[in-house]
Amino acid sequence: MVDELLFFMEVLVGGLLAGTMYSLVALGFVLIFKASATFNFSQGAMVFFSVLAFCGFMQDFNIPFVLAFIMAALLMVVVGLCTERFVLRPLMNASEDTVLMATIGLGYVLEGLAQAAWGVEVRRLDLGIGDFPVPWIADNLKLFISALDITAGLVAAIMIIGLFLLFKYTKIGLGLRAVADDAGAASSIGIPLKHIMLLVWSAAGVVALVAGCMWGARAGVQFALVDLALKALPVLIIGGFSSIPGAIIGGLIIGAVEKVLEVYIGPFFGGAIEGWAPYVLAIFFLLYRPEGLFGEKIIRRV
Amino acid sequence: MSNTSTNILDIKNIEVMYDNVILALHDVSLKVPKGKVVALLGANGAGKSTTLKAVSTMLASERGKVTKGSIDYDGTSIEKQNPSQMVGLGMVQVLEGRRCFGHLTVEENIISGAYSRKLSKGDINQELEKIYTYFIRLKERRKSQAAFTSGGEQQMIAVARAMMAKPKMLLLDEPTMGLAPQLVAEIFNIVKELNQKEGVSILLAEQNTNVALKNSDYGYIIETGRVMLDGTAKSLLSNDQVKELYLGISKKGRKNFRDVLKEESLTKKKIN
Repeated sequence: MVDELLFFMEVLVGGLLAGTMYSLVALGFVLIFKASATFNFSQGAMVFFSVLAFCGFMQDFNIPFVLAFIMAALLMVVVGLCTERFVLRPLMNASEDTVLMATIGLGYVLEGLAQAAWGVEVRRLDLGIGDFPVPWIADNLKLFISALDITAGLVAAIMIIGLFLLFKYTKIGLGLRAVADDAGAASSIGIPLKHIMLLVWSAAGVVALVAGCMWGARAGVQFALVDLALKALPVLIIGGFSSIPGAIIGGLIIGAVEKVLEVYIGPFFGGAIEGWAPYVLAIFFLLYRPEGLFGEKIIRRV
Repeated sequence: MSNTSTNILDIKNIEVMYDNVILALHDVSLKVPKGKVVALLGANGAGKSTTLKAVSTMLASERGKVTKGSIDYDGTSIEKQNPSQMVGLGMVQVLEGRRCFGHLTVEENIISGAYSRKLSKGDINQELEKIYTYFIRLKERRKSQAAFTSGGEQQMIAVARAMMAKPKMLLLDEPTMGLAPQLVAEIFNIVKELNQKEGVSILLAEQNTNVALKNSDYGYIIETGRVMLDGTAKSLLSNDQVKELYLGISKKGRKNFRDVLKEESLTKKKIN
């Protein structure tokens, strides 16, 4: 009995921690959705692009870890800058649907650029953190929990607290929240939309880089990272598109539910239900609570 | 040349088009003398909002464009400016429908108005206190979410927010829309006070002709994108045409819509 409980705890905690990695990806979507009311389809490509560049800097040019990370982050700021200048600004008066389509195109451009610059083979990303159970926890709590999962959890927590403080207590954060509420009114009192867009896309780029590092360390830096971002979709449906806490909790729910279902119900379906169980959950949310747990009336927008 | 120094705003014969096809303003000229309140009156769709947006350069975001004429603010043309530059120059528009940031608190809403200014935390608090002396009601509600405040309070938030930008000139678009008469009076009192104590010049668009003229120095009446009549507020209030068309008062006494319909049906019968 105790063993079963411990096993359940292990599955649950493992799931929750894996969920923080979904949260990290979803966070990037939320940032952009808040400012431009658009689902950014290129977020997955941004994850792939940023982490591939990071690997490329380290492995092709032998740039040290920290410097390469900073360079990759700066590169994402440049991507944000170019996106604002060449995609968003010309589409300033276009409908949200048009911007949505533009983000799909942007995604293809980023995927293509990344592969053209750094090649198509799968790269290994070694963060110096193993994807194996932490001995101390295994010995003392009898739970087998991966060090990488714990790191991802910590990183996600730090980023969330950082973003929360940024939004709540800084001037630019206030500007961003104002733009998210009513861009027209924000511009009428002199909040420059350009700067806000630039900030949001750069922040989303850096969040993508961090998420990419976590996922890349686990699954290898490869094209499949682009599709992984789709997992953020059920996360956002559950948490709400415009809510940062929603992204976090949605990620945790998806992570926990998919692991628990996989272990306990998976066998009845012949396993591998991890892949689609979150979407079933998302459908239930769409039917009964379409704005998500923390979202605000967004049904019209998506 | 003496005009440019006494008029903070000088609009000369502007024509405005939306989407390059829809002509919204045919020919609008108006002046706002420094430190005065000017009312822009007219019915729905007459072009009041368009005129204000042309001045604040917010037209561009609605695919509108000034195609003829000129707008001078404080002696220089605004042609090449964008809305945030205009705010920097001291011209702030309070948009129609209040447009508060619903998820922000009342105080955050007001502080957001200072975004364009480089102020320290202490300066902002000082400014806030000054603003609260005009909007006492808002101080009580400073921690509430703006979306949960009443229509009148939201209008006050919108004006207070604009005042945080330290404007030399305010453009108010239908500040009393949908408000109870008592609140209308309260809003206009505040507007007058801001005008007199802070020296802010004001151009206000209103459908509420009577109240607007009673609180203004000068008025313009526009219809289908053209200025039809202008004059001092006093002269407009006593003008027969204005009385009949905008104030609902004819020489024979009060005239209402039913009387108009009755008259029309009578004339129809005569024709038949």
